Amino acid sequence: MTKVKNGKVIRKLAARELGKNKKLNVVVILSIVLTCLLFTTLATIGGSLMNGMQEETMRQVGARSMMGFKEALPEDYELLSTAKGIKNLSYNVMVGEGYNSEFKEISLEIRYAGSDQAAKDMFSYPTEGRLPEKENEIAMSDIALRTLGFEPKLGQEIHLVINTDGKITEHDLTLCGWWQGDPINLAQQSWVSPELGKKIAPLRKKGDDSVGVCGYMAVNFDFESSYDIEGQAAELISSLYEKEDLGRMAKQTGINWAYVGSSVDSGFVVAGSAFVLLIFFAGYLIIYNIFYINTSANIRSYGLLKTIGTTSRQLKRMVRIQACIYCLVGIPLGLVTGVLAGKGLMGFIMNTMNVVSRDSYSVSGRLLCMICLFAALFTFLTVMISCRKPCRMAGAVSPIEALRYNETDISTKKTDKKTGRITPLAVARNNMSRSRKKTVVVVLSLTLSIVLVNTMFTLLGGIDQDKYIADSIVGDINITHDDRGDNWNELTKGITPDIIDRFSSIEGCEVHPAYYEAGMVRDDGAHTEKVQGLLDKYGSTDEDTAVILEASVKDKSHSSNIYGIDEEILSCIEPSAGSIDLEKFRNGRYAIVSTYLYCADDENSVQIYQPGDKITVDYADKGAREYEVLAVAPMPYPISVKAYNFFQTDIIVPEEEYFAADDEPAAVSLMINTDDNDGSAAEQCSAVCDEDGSPLIYKDKADYLKEFEDLLNMVKMVGGTLSGILALIGILNFVNAVVTGILSRKRELAMMNAVGMTSSQQKAMLRWEGACYAVLTAVCSAVLAALVSLLAVKGLGEGLFFFRYHFTLLPLICCIPVLLALSAAIPSVAYKFICRESVVERLRENG
Amino acid sequence: MTVLKTEGLTKIYGSGQSEVTALDNANLKVEQGEFAAIIGTSGSGKSTLLHMLGGLDRPTSGKVFVDGKEIFTLKDEALTIFRRRKIGFVFQSFNLVPTLNVYENIVFPIQLDGSEPDEAFVKEVIDALGIGKMTSRLPNQLSGGQQQRVAIARALAAKPAIILADEPTGNLDSKTSQDVLSLLKVTGKKFSQTIVMITHNEAIAQMADRIIRIEDGHITIGGENND
Ligand SMILES: Nc1ncnc2c1ncn2[C@@H]1O[C@H](COP(=O)(O)OP(=O)(O)O)[C@@H](O)[C@H]1O
Ligand SMILES: [Mg+2]
Repeated sequence: MTKVKNGKVIRKLAARELGKNKKLNVVVILSIVLTCLLFTTLATIGGSLMNGMQEETMRQVGARSMMGFKEALPEDYELLSTAKGIKNLSYNVMVGEGYNSEFKEISLEIRYAGSDQAAKDMFSYPTEGRLPEKENEIAMSDIALRTLGFEPKLGQEIHLVINTDGKITEHDLTLCGWWQGDPINLAQQSWVSPELGKKIAPLRKKGDDSVGVCGYMAVNFDFESSYDIEGQAAELISSLYEKEDLGRMAKQTGINWAYVGSSVDSGFVVAGSAFVLLIFFAGYLIIYNIFYINTSANIRSYGLLKTIGTTSRQLKRMVRIQACIYCLVGIPLGLVTGVLAGKGLMGFIMNTMNVVSRDSYSVSGRLLCMICLFAALFTFLTVMISCRKPCRMAGAVSPIEALRYNETDISTKKTDKKTGRITPLAVARNNMSRSRKKTVVVVLSLTLSIVLVNTMFTLLGGIDQDKYIADSIVGDINITHDDRGDNWNELTKGITPDIIDRFSSIEGCEVHPAYYEAGMVRDDGAHTEKVQGLLDKYGSTDEDTAVILEASVKDKSHSSNIYGIDEEILSCIEPSAGSIDLEKFRNGRYAIVSTYLYCADDENSVQIYQPGDKITVDYADKGAREYEVLAVAPMPYPISVKAYNFFQTDIIVPEEEYFAADDEPAAVSLMINTDDNDGSAAEQCSAVCDEDGSPLIYKDKADYLKEFEDLLNMVKMVGGTLSGILALIGILNFVNAVVTGILSRKRELAMMNAVGMTSSQQKAMLRWEGACYAVLTAVCSAVLAALVSLLAVKGLGEGLFFFRYHFTLLPLICCIPVLLALSAAIPSVAYKFICRESVVERLRENG
Repeated sequence: MTVLKTEGLTKIYGSGQSEVTALDNANLKVEQGEFAAIIGTSGSGKSTLLHMLGGLDRPTSGKVFVDGKEIFTLKDEALTIFRRRKIGFVFQSFNLVPTLNVYENIVFPIQLDGSEPDEAFVKEVIDALGIGKMTSRLPNQLSGGQQQRVAIARALAAKPAIILADEPTGNLDSKTSQDVLSLLKVTGKKFSQTIVMITHNEAIAQMADRIIRIEDGHITIGGENND
């Protein structure tokens, strides 16, 4: 078969055809730009978020390297330095932990570095000064410095207490370097010189298995590629080590989560894909629509081309070439605007979210190229898929039909139409059904945006502030005891009456202590059986739990956290079974009870004590006391002891009852409510906790409210942007449908005018058409929004502890007037537009 | 009785260099019940004249009287209403509303006027044009000749003062043209309807009671009925 060289003619024709309808061209190109812009923006945000999240995970891990051995020996390091396929090898040695009294929430790790690389790998390379060289030098993060009460200044004298696996030493050191510590990391870093480090914590030798982490080398390195790090790690170890060492090495192998695929939040991936699909769909709707209209508008000339010998394939190619020309113009424009928009939005996100490590979220040149490639590809794909049907339509046109063509002819042969009374509404309704596809497209895209708005508001309305912060804080302020040190008694009963008095004496403070002691629950026969039931159910999931449960069955008792609380704290407790009867609780014969089992996901399934059961508790001082279970509920987490046994039951009784059973009552935590507006009471509370050597930790509701606002802002922003974009697409589609609908019926409208339809009647008809769209959209979105709300949002909300679901269609109802206004305004404007040509001029067209 | 009269009708398109005088001082009278044919070569100004007669376009100067009323003193909206009551149009093609069936198309102008069609009369017209079997069909199910017959029925149904037809058979083959034209003439007589029809075909023009000849925008023959 000879290949006829007609490509040039076809291309020329394609270009000429494009020139014919400038207005439509602009719309097509704009819609491609929009689609490309959306893809690019999404990719930019997604890319920088992913980048940032990886960086942030690295920071949390505290290492940039792909892999490390946590407890390596010098010979391991030697071995690795000869290994192939790895790079950026470095090591550091843990010397100890900062033991100055200031280190409470924030702890300090003291290490020495094998090289500069080692410090860089840990995000801890001095930006000011350098790493220590002399024995009395130290480099430290600014956060650690500030915790110690110093401003970062080279030459600063620092007295440091170091705890090296239990061995305490004190040193006077000089600051030789510092850097900005990462506030998301509670463990801050510091570097001493290798000289000093080796003295305090000598390097471990093979066979030294004494407890502790100091003196081991932490060796870090990268592989050539980040693909399948786990596999590469296993391979490396087996290639370097003999059998007897394999176990030791495997146990201490640490792979940076930041590189492991699963570290990318699966929710993030789902959301990302959903967005891609959404944009794809939205882009498809609009581009398809315009192409379809464009092709139908040109169908007569296609028919003509066919009559004079153009083949179907050539016609199809022509449409495709046109699509490519559109892409050529639209995609670059979309990429540029998209990258700009993405960067702008990212900045906005960072501002609202108060992201500190901004640099992590910047987009590198390589990533940018990938983003553009991705966006261009997806846009091109969208365009090509959108023009498939119009292509086929152009190819399938028969010369005769095309000459008679008007939009209705596309649909299959219609049956006769029943005669009805002609009103503008009736004519409008007929017009709607004449291109159902267009109607569906417009209604769908408008519906989508309205459903989204409704969903967003349902989400926003459902987020419950109190529930959200209830897991972090109860009341206005919570005071707990520092959990450093191993003195269990001090930790759990550290808030002594005199401390409580100090807070009580602050004006505007209402102090509610949570008294605590660890006790035992004596299980009677029936409850022992229930414990046995738990053992049967969960025994296989966790070995340690099984041991504890077996012991509990055998001893007919298990451990318990006993709390004594006042009525203010009581009001913060939400029972999952039974109800809190204040009168009963007061009289001291009732207790609120909740059982916890380490390896069970569902709290409710492990509650062996139900309201009405009798429970016997062994206090340390006064022995057994019996209560009736009033309700099932755990102690509010923020003021609980925050330490768990594998299997335990919380018992909550009134203060007075608790005092009767404990000789020396002390609190594990305080809930403080303040009634001051200026925050002075809160400030004084905070000051008490900040005193030198104070073991108290202060938490303020305001901090969590801020966090809550951030969450709200994020939902608002993401939802707002998305529904804004969709609304834009919906409206564009609507404008597009109405305008092209009017333009393609220009002649028909002129003819109707000629036989006596006045322009006000025509406008009424067109407005009715708009109203049909609006009504259809309203009905569809009401149904869809209700479904989404009931099926998706409700389910999603149940998974979120801070969500309280309410069904609402109010936002949707608010959208309807807007929709109606648009549906009336757009046709009027479009009609005015065609009326610029006289009836005669319009009649003469193609005539 | 004179149904239609023009006085010094002139239409100039464009301005300056591209100025085209499509119609130049045209004077013409048409009597009640007459079937007049306007004939002229392509581009001679026939359609322009017809558009003026029907109030579709406004002249540069001159007047048009329909039923003794000067039509261009009316505003656009009123002119449209006047049109649907007094004038029936039949165009060369695209005469019908595609979403309305045949019957609906025929009564369309009447119903736009808010009045009820005289059903007996409409039926008579439909029968006279031989389209009684297809009243519930949609236009795209009809042949070209059938479509033109429906257009004629629509023009007749509103009992206008005058029917204006612009090359009503221009898109039809000669056999069908003959049929449609005979129907137009016969029904016109039957309902004593005044008809002005444009054609560039001498043979067709011969069927008319009177021939008005137009050349380069000038009415050369038959402007006034001298019988
Ligand atoms: N809207 C217009 N703008 C400019 N020139 C026009 C317009 N309508 C008609 N003409 C010109 O007026 C002249 C008469 O046109 P027309 O009445 O359509 O002729 P006919 O119907 O006899 O073929 C032609 O030269 C035509 O080019
Ligand atoms: Mg003409």
